[in-house]
Amino acid sequence: MSSTHAHGPKPPHAFFQHHYDTVEQQAGAAKLGMWVFLATEILMFSGLFLAYFIVRAFYPEMVLGSHELLSKTMGGINTVVLLTSSFTMAMAVRSAQVGDTPGIVRNLYMTIGCALIFMVVKYFEYTGKFSHGIFPGKYFDYERAAAYAAEHGHELVGMPHIFFGVYFTMTGLHGVHVLAGIIVLTWILRRAQKGHFGPQYFTPVENVGLYWHIVDLVWIFLFPLLYLVK
Amino acid sequence: MATAHTPATEHAREPSFYEGKTGFKNWFITLDHKRLGMMYLVGTMVFFLVGGIAALTLRTELLTPEQDLVSATTFNKLFTVHGAVMVFLVIIPAVPAALGNFLLPLMLGVKDVAFPRLNLLSFWVYCFGACFFLFTLFAGGLDTGWTFYTPYSTTTGTAMLSATAGAFILGFSSILTGVNFIVTVHKMRAPGLTWNRLPLFVWAIYSTAVIQILATPVLAITLLLLIVERTLNIGIFDPAMGGDPVLYQHFFWFYSHPAVYIMILPGFGIISELIAVHSRKHIFGYKAIALSSIAIAIISFLVWGHHMFVSGQSELAGVVFSFLTFAVAVPTAIKVFSWVATLYKGSIEFNTPMLYALAFLFTFSIGGLTGIFLGSLSVDVHLHDTYFVVAHFHYVMMGGTIIAFIGGIHHWWGKMTGRMFNEAHAKWGVLLVFIGFNMTFFNQFVIGQQGMPRRYATYVPQFQQQHVLSTIGSYILGVGLLWTAIYLLRSLRSGPQAPDNPYGGASLEWQTQSPPIEHNFHGQPVADTDPYNFPQIDRSGGMDAH
Amino acid sequence: MTTKTFLHGKPIDDVVEVHEHVSPAAAYYKVLGALFVLTGLTYAVSFADLGPASLTVAMVVAFAKATLVAMYFMHLKYDDRFHVFVFLSTVIFVGIFFLFTLFDLGSRTRLNEEQGTFFRVNNGKDWSESQRTNMAEWQAKQKAEAEAKAKGDAKGEGKAAGAAPDAKGDAAKAPAKAP
Repeated sequence: MSSTHAHGPKPPHAFFQHHYDTVEQQAGAAKLGMWVFLATEILMFSGLFLAYFIVRAFYPEMVLGSHELLSKTMGGINTVVLLTSSFTMAMAVRSAQVGDTPGIVRNLYMTIGCALIFMVVKYFEYTGKFSHGIFPGKYFDYERAAAYAAEHGHELVGMPHIFFGVYFTMTGLHGVHVLAGIIVLTWILRRAQKGHFGPQYFTPVENVGLYWHIVDLVWIFLFPLLYLVK
Repeated sequence: MATAHTPATEHAREPSFYEGKTGFKNWFITLDHKRLGMMYLVGTMVFFLVGGIAALTLRTELLTPEQDLVSATTFNKLFTVHGAVMVFLVIIPAVPAALGNFLLPLMLGVKDVAFPRLNLLSFWVYCFGACFFLFTLFAGGLDTGWTFYTPYSTTTGTAMLSATAGAFILGFSSILTGVNFIVTVHKMRAPGLTWNRLPLFVWAIYSTAVIQILATPVLAITLLLLIVERTLNIGIFDPAMGGDPVLYQHFFWFYSHPAVYIMILPGFGIISELIAVHSRKHIFGYKAIALSSIAIAIISFLVWGHHMFVSGQSELAGVVFSFLTFAVAVPTAIKVFSWVATLYKGSIEFNTPMLYALAFLFTFSIGGLTGIFLGSLSVDVHLHDTYFVVAHFHYVMMGGTIIAFIGGIHHWWGKMTGRMFNEAHAKWGVLLVFIGFNMTFFNQFVIGQQGMPRRYATYVPQFQQQHVLSTIGSYILGVGLLWTAIYLLRSLRSGPQAPDNPYGGASLEWQTQSPPIEHNFHGQPVADTDPYNFPQIDRSGGMDAH
Repeated sequence: MTTKTFLHGKPIDDVVEVHEHVSPAAAYYKVLGALFVLTGLTYAVSFADLGPASLTVAMVVAFAKATLVAMYFMHLKYDDRFHVFVFLSTVIFVGIFFLFTLFDLGSRTRLNEEQGTFFRVNNGKDWSESQRTNMAEWQAKQKAEAEAKAKGDAKGEGKAAGAAPDAKGDAAKAPAKAP
């Protein structure tokens, strides 16, 4: 546990905003703001999770029959990819804390790379589903989906369009967050390359990191619920 | 005015925030919380007019039992426009975003909110969302009511998507403002401004921001699911596709019940300020009022089911929600009793802000108490979806929030604009608004109890007398509000220069000039006492117990 | 200006508001390793037939992973206590949301069964028999309806107008219209 032992306020850095009194105040405000924003993200996703649990409670057999059509392996790969990206993100923040600019850039590249891999896997998952008539809601093609399920030795029960509606909404919204993450990660990557970040000032890296970890956290729950649970 | 103490500004007058960088562009991209507050004020007032015109059209249609002025569908669209505009575009942003933006940093004695750029973004997101609502109006309107209940909202042929998208976007504006205010209150305070020295308006805005943060995301996901349900029929809410329409109501009211406290809590904050300043007495029960705001914020999340007593919710859940609903009455009553106790033996000045505060106490008490009727499970079965609900809601929202808001605008008008309004004209305005309001809504309790359902363009002739009375009342209310707008706007041209501290307030916003300079204060203000410690209070006249 | 430092409203002489705790890189590697192990565990367990316990196991593992990410990657272990408070109170409010809604849905089914009220055919099996077999027919009907509606109602949002079968749509519309 090594806190910096600065006594009194730090000297202002280049990104100090003048409506704040001190550098610490600016950093603390930004971080609290991010945490409060993350609270809203959690609550927003909670609505989808609740929808999932309710669909599950209403139609347990339907959910169990339908979820077998999702590829556990692809979901598993994406979990590993996303956990790795969370790790590299944490390392990027650490590099900023210790003033290692090449380290920030390297770790951010890896994080963005993982995010892209995640989206590519997601793309193959989605198109794979679409090609067998598995669309959300009213576009769900029951005949083709049932035939596809039979091929793999599963049986569709009840109203699988609801499960896939929930699946596409949840993973879709999560995917939108990953895309947004790629944008903000690219932004701080550019700034890191310009040498903006160091031990004196790394709030943006830290906050983007927090956002990225929340995206990861949501996936940690999405993965078992949608792909694994029986 | 004689008792006003001289403020701490001994500096020469400097150009106010209106001067300096002028021109459209400097307002368009301004980061100044005061300019943003003023722009929000103008925005909410424009939509207040839109919603008000819709309301007056509804009332005019209801003059006769037959359907004559507008068609039934148009009537449905009009009450939807009235409700959606008033809720999402007027009441939710009115006090926090307009007055809150302007006053929060001033009351905290700082230069700006924590994230000025986020504040600007929030304003333009608000405008963007408002555009969607306007589009809805021109695309033929929406006829679901402001609650967008499924399954009707997933099947109606009216402009549903643009309205829900608008509400979704407005939610973001609300969230960004909430984040900004929470961080500002936590991290940005003048030296000496401890939690126990925060003005009660700040406490109220803070509690509001907490609700905005915790509830609005659920509205976002609800509307998103509704949009998905409508476009793709995924079968979550729509029973035809295997969904559950009551689930939609759970989602919606998890947001929208706390949202009514987003609407009323800032009003409470304004009233706390008005009553203390204009009765020149230390607020009674400071901590009780402050903490009851937080208590209301938390309890508000436990009671949403009382909107669903008759919509197919389980009776057991109804009982639990009914019981919890009564709990909200406790912190609310704490506030009302504290205000009354503050008035007791105070040196009350019957000026316009105070008259609005007193009007609030009267109307809000009626609104709050009738809420207990509606919260009782068995009584609500009789009263739900009648004019009783309409009257209750308007007594709280219009008679509560809007009256507090207008009172607050008068109280801080000098600070915001640098001009004083005409007190005699303003008193006529109070009278018209108060009489018009009560005439419009009081007898709606009666006809509601007699069985007049809400949201109908036609009714049985026996209710006509009451409806006519209501409509005349609404015209008086409309005239009163128009009159208020006219004399306030006139004061901008011809009103006398406002002093820095016209009413002798002790909180920090009065320590700068009127209107404030660009960076709010000439020096760093210091909070060396609590904001209700009025310097020239005759303490012997206070409560004997003290 | 130096006396103006304050934290949470209280003036403080000497404040380091951001406790910049720098964890050693090894800690992050360990956490990542633990996360991988837990992922492998939950993946492997999903092939075993645990029945209803499978949800519990998966959730316990997911919470363990989430805790690791929040505490170490998100620095909550070393962070300002207030951030922990924000995070946990969010979780509590999510709990309130879940608890009351699920409570209603649970008790509603029971009461409906006691009263013999028709509410929902469990598992949607009966629904599927009547509706699923006619899915193609049903979709075609919807399409035709949407087209008819789009023609008749040029102003409305034709895209979604005919989204529901007519019986339900009419039933829903009726109460909202004035007599």
